[in-house]
Amino acid sequence: MSQILKVQWIISILWPGFLVAGAATIVTFTVFDPVEISACIGGPDISRTGWYSVGFFLFWFMSALSSLLTCYFQQPCQVVQGTQDPE
Amino acid sequence: MSDVTAQKKRRAPEPEPADEVQQSLYAKREKIYPREVHGTFAALRVLAMVVLLGLYYGVPWLRWEGRQAVLFDLPARKFFIFDWVFWPQDFFYLALLLMIAALSLFFFTAVAGRLWCGYACPQTVWTEIFMWVERKIEGDRPQQMKLDKLPWNSEKVLKKGSKHVILLLFSLYTGFTFVGYFTPIDELGARMFSFDLGPWETFWVIFYGLATYGNAGWMREQVCIYMCPYARFQSAMFDKDTLVISYDEARGEPRGKRKRTADRQGLGLGDCIDCTLCVQVCPTGIDIRKGLQYQCIGCAACVDVCDDVMDKMGYDRGLVRYTTENGLKGRPAHPLRPRILVYATLLLAMTAGLIYAISQRIPLELDVIRDRTGLYRETSEGLVENVYNLKVINMDEREHVYRLSASGLPEMEFINRKGELTVAAGEVYNLPVRIRIDPIHLTRSTNEITFHIEATDAPELAREATSRFIGPVD
Ligand code: SF4
Ligand code: SF4
Repeated sequence: MSQILKVQWIISILWPGFLVAGAATIVTFTVFDPVEISACIGGPDISRTGWYSVGFFLFWFMSALSSLLTCYFQQPCQVVQGTQDPE
Repeated sequence: MSDVTAQKKRRAPEPEPADEVQQSLYAKREKIYPREVHGTFAALRVLAMVVLLGLYYGVPWLRWEGRQAVLFDLPARKFFIFDWVFWPQDFFYLALLLMIAALSLFFFTAVAGRLWCGYACPQTVWTEIFMWVERKIEGDRPQQMKLDKLPWNSEKVLKKGSKHVILLLFSLYTGFTFVGYFTPIDELGARMFSFDLGPWETFWVIFYGLATYGNAGWMREQVCIYMCPYARFQSAMFDKDTLVISYDEARGEPRGKRKRTADRQGLGLGDCIDCTLCVQVCPTGIDIRKGLQYQCIGCAACVDVCDDVMDKMGYDRGLVRYTTENGLKGRPAHPLRPRILVYATLLLAMTAGLIYAISQRIPLELDVIRDRTGLYRETSEGLVENVYNLKVINMDEREHVYRLSASGLPEMEFINRKGELTVAAGEVYNLPVRIRIDPIHLTRSTNEITFHIEATDAPELAREATSRFIGPVD
């Protein structure tokens, strides 16, 4: 993979994840108050801003993971077979 | 991704001058040095920039009744917008507002093309101010290109260094302002200068600052071309009557250089003098004469510069102009086409709906949760008792006294605090309530009951919530 393609690939995984994580964070923390939930289940004592940030990065990670899998499955099957063939 | 790959394939065989090529994030890209442009649309763009940046940097400092006028107080889970205070329970309004914003984008795109991109998009606005700083330090396009070709001497280090320091500081201030929309900005400023910011605040100031610096300082048109979702789907909202920026091929071709005094008819030339100024001013580096391209953000820089050229040549203005596909082909325009009418109707209806909903909003919330520790309890007097946790949220800006009652079963007896409760402005009041009832009134094991709450001083402030009363089965 050339240098440019690799960077493109990384961005096409991180960027959609970023957009989705933003939306998911807003919706989730509008409905649920992280501090209340944490107090309820005996979770760690972090400020709300902290929870929002942690939540955002968690969503980002998850949705980037999904983008990664999409990119992975997008490769044509021949390529996958081709790698087994040392030609 | 396939789009981008195709782009790369198309570009790959072109030999590019090594010193101007910049290894960028998406494709090998020739660095774009947009030439400064003056004219009607440039003035409009500067006006839009000043107003929008003024709003962005100014609004958090506005005060309203002793507090920040616009504050999305995330730590307190409350949004303050002048007189209004919104709670998470008001999410509906936010959703409606977002839908209205999306719909108006559709509407304006159908009518006037990429108006948003050219004048109002933060990417455009911040790129514009960044390029202004760049021009102040490095000069216009020719000087910038010359500077980039120069070896790293002291002049280049000084110019480039000071540019980046200024842009970075400006970006950090942008990040600070961004965080200032979410935590009170005066306090934030005081804490920042005493180096006392919380870890998360510091993080977001730097994160947003660096994002601004990267997007407006380095990525620029690549954000529009490769990363912007709107740029990808806006063409779906275009039709033959959408206002676009376009080169009048019939009039301009065949293009060619000529003297100002030359007789173009005699030479067999069109109006385009092939000065390539329209290409030099383009922030996305395209040639509008090749037709409508999705890289075109509709900034109208090429319109201004070409009008200038036409003036100098003594030709009519408008070789490159705002027009429509139909207009270009001399067909009649359809300003009131179905698409526009549908968007406009929906937009009006939703805006009216939002205004009505906000005017009817009751700033009071009542939640009832049945106590989970037991279904019911029988008292020594043989009464059945259920326990509830009531949550009363006074979302109003002042204190109220509320009257609590319940209905659904006869002769319900409140054990604690039956009467009135005082809840301060913005307070969440938790009230455990026990209700006792004689089992002879219970015909079923599960009975629906309703709690009512009403402000004593304002009867329109009233809410209801239902729950269940559980008794023995027989
Ligand atoms: S600025 Fe106008 S005259 Fe000059 S090349 Fe562009 S279209 Fe032709
Ligand atoms: S083609 Fe003209 S309107 Fe489009 S981006 Fe370039 S300068 Fe702006």
